[in-house]
Amino acid sequence: MKVTPTLEGGLRIDPETPEDWLALRAILLDANDDEIDLATRLGSMVSHERIAEDWRDFVVPDLRESFSDDLNQIHAAIETAAAFPKDGEHPIWITREDAFSWYSALNQARLALEEKYHFGSDPEFDPADHATVHNEALIRSQFYCALQSLLLSHAL
Amino acid sequence: MPDTTTLNQTETHVSTQPPWNVIVHDDPVNLMGYVTHVLMKIFGYNESFATKLMLQVHQQGLSIVWSGELEKAEFYVQQLQLHQLKTSLEQAE
Repeated sequence: MKVTPTLEGGLRIDPETPEDWLALRAILLDANDDEIDLATRLGSMVSHERIAEDWRDFVVPDLRESFSDDLNQIHAAIETAAAFPKDGEHPIWITREDAFSWYSALNQARLALEEKYHFGSDPEFDPADHATVHNEALIRSQFYCALQSLLLSHAL
Repeated sequence: MPDTTTLNQTETHVSTQPPWNVIVHDDPVNLMGYVTHVLMKIFGYNESFATKLMLQVHQQGLSIVWSGELEKAEFYVQQLQLHQLKTSLEQAE
């Protein structure tokens, strides 16, 4: 996979192998693989008795809808690029306007993986001590993080 | 024509309620540069101040990033949560 900055201040992703497409589609799978959804987890941080109930009833549904919209947008971008090649290539264009939705989707995926596997930022972490599934998840999380860094540098 | 007078009266209301603190908590996922970017975008802080707050979050586990009236504080918390930062809202003591 190649990821390159564009002159317009966005990114272009060129998936080159079937594994690249798997890695991109995994963003959606990982983001949705969360026992307690992100909106609920974030919303529960507001626990003051004066506002907690309103927060749960009014703000959390908005957060949920916004996060879901971001995932839908990414899903559409990936599948459109996969279905409609141009000159044999399947570029995925991330414009400045799309950048936050991509960042959000990648963050949702990383947060869900972190909730499930607790990679943390432990400098002593050794992948050799963990099962294959755990290590694959770690590699995906690192891939998402690398994409986020590029978005932050070039598009946000 | 009757004489008219204009009464100019200024009232000052001072709230005795303690302010509400918007608190960002550390998490192992959000990139440091992203947290700085979000604080600049939402509060209009300059990069140096936003970076200082971000480092407080990173090193001390949390930072009070804004204090003031409840209505504005709720708006800021909602915006920060929309950007997926772990944010809470507490009334100062």
